Amino acid sequence: MNPLIEAAKDGLTQGWLMGGMTIVFLAFFVAWSLWAWAPFNRKSMEAAARMPLDDGFPARGDL
Amino acid sequence: MSTLTSASNHSGQAESGANVMTFDADDAMVKKFILASLTFGLVGMLVGVILALQLAFWPANLDLPWTTFGRLRPLHTNAVIFAFTGNFIFAAIYYSLPRLTKTPMWNQTLSQIHFWGWQAIIVSAAITLPLGFTQTHEYAELIWPIDIAIALVWVVFAINFFGTIATRKVKHMYVAIWFYMSMVITITVLHIFNNLALPATLTRSYPIYSGMTDALVQWWYGHNAVGFLLTTPILGIMYYFLPKSVNRPVYSYRLSIIHFWALVFIYIWAGPHHLLYSGLPDWAQTVGSIFSIMLIAPSWGGMLNGLLTLRGAWDRLRTDPIVKFWAVAVSFYGMSTFEGPMMSLRSVNSLSHYTDWTIGHVHGGALGWVGMAAFACFYYIVPRVWKTTLHSLSLATAHFWLATVGIVLYIVAMWASGITQGLMWRAVDEGGQLQYANFMDTVLQLMPFYWIRLVGGLMYLSGLLVMLYNIGRTIQTSGSAVVAAPPAAFAK
Repeated sequence: MNPLIEAAKDGLTQGWLMGGMTIVFLAFFVAWSLWAWAPFNRKSMEAAARMPLDDGFPARGDL
Repeated sequence: MSTLTSASNHSGQAESGANVMTFDADDAMVKKFILASLTFGLVGMLVGVILALQLAFWPANLDLPWTTFGRLRPLHTNAVIFAFTGNFIFAAIYYSLPRLTKTPMWNQTLSQIHFWGWQAIIVSAAITLPLGFTQTHEYAELIWPIDIAIALVWVVFAINFFGTIATRKVKHMYVAIWFYMSMVITITVLHIFNNLALPATLTRSYPIYSGMTDALVQWWYGHNAVGFLLTTPILGIMYYFLPKSVNRPVYSYRLSIIHFWALVFIYIWAGPHHLLYSGLPDWAQTVGSIFSIMLIAPSWGGMLNGLLTLRGAWDRLRTDPIVKFWAVAVSFYGMSTFEGPMMSLRSVNSLSHYTDWTIGHVHGGALGWVGMAAFACFYYIVPRVWKTTLHSLSLATAHFWLATVGIVLYIVAMWASGITQGLMWRAVDEGGQLQYANFMDTVLQLMPFYWIRLVGGLMYLSGLLVMLYNIGRTIQTSGSAVVAAPPAAFAK
């Protein structure tokens, strides 16, 4: 096969692969973000944010 | 999610229902790791100052092979990264993990092996590096027997770490634990694969990689050692200790988990930016640059989350040295994680690479982010585990200013020095010849900056000495002072 066409074929394959990977990773990111900001997660997220403060030890006061 | 309403007292015990869990044994490990971190921090930073002096005043090499720059430099980097920072990270994990999981560390014997094994490795490094035993990979200079010891001790720590998580009493794993996990897993993989070598003698080995492959693996390791030893565990520490320090929940927990996954996903690809304009294929160099630019977003997610957690507590910046240290640490994290991606751009890198700009960049992150976060944690943890109060707030504030001004002097001097170097090296005359072909032309221009850097380093080291005195006096009063009354929520 013509070397130029061979190179173009390889480039096209690589391009599709990278494009596909980009879409998959982006989809993961968007889905993960939507899950994190979903209204049904609000309370658990707020509770999780307080975990260091609720670990049974005083936060401040003895410097 | 499990309930998080356990009461506490101040002898290091947390009660969860009928089960009483004691963290005293873990706090004893915290004390050991803190003392080790402080000791090796002093050694590592002192060697750093000696190196700064050698660069400004060459007779400080002492004309001895053991004290030349080439041998002391890896001693400095290994001491501050693995001894000072490593022990600090372990101290913070042994303090925060049991409290976040409401579970003592899984196995106290493994904790002891971890501590003493790690210190033995550090002592081995301190002996072999000045003697010139090295496998010549940056931040991975230690010879193969020590590499095997590191792997074994690290696995011991990993078993203890995951054992604690597996037996935790709280279902949800707080985001700090995820950051810690990223360190434990990734450092294992990085260390093993970067140090694969065929031993020839007890002190010499040959890497299984060669040429460009060796360089790529090395900088995959080198960059991610920064990422997963100097960044993600410190972020985890920030997510525990910063909210504790200002008694406010993290600004956005959602943001914390989004930027965690984005950070660990992207970081691992950015290593090739250390090999721009090298024999590495162009596409791989471009991948390194692109992922470095993408890193700005998750990095700044962490910075913004840290700074916004301080929202509503900014008044404490005037009076509370811990808050001062955190504010500066997080600011330097934001600055360094912007500067790094900029330096990964080919056009900027062509000026900055191989110059002192890189030294300024790494010290902005190391002294500004890691160092200041460590100091904030030491001032927070020491009075608690020794059950006393801090000896002097004024000395802690003095430490803060010495460290902050020292960093600024250091990095501004290195920026000026690096840009001077880069511009002089690329300067050509009308005939197309190098304008400063004699290397000494640039060296002589840099001398003032090297002296300024020495002053900055001395200030940072002086601040450390002030903290050592302050902490020493604090420990002297161990157990003699009553820890302040708990907040109302805990006093019920």
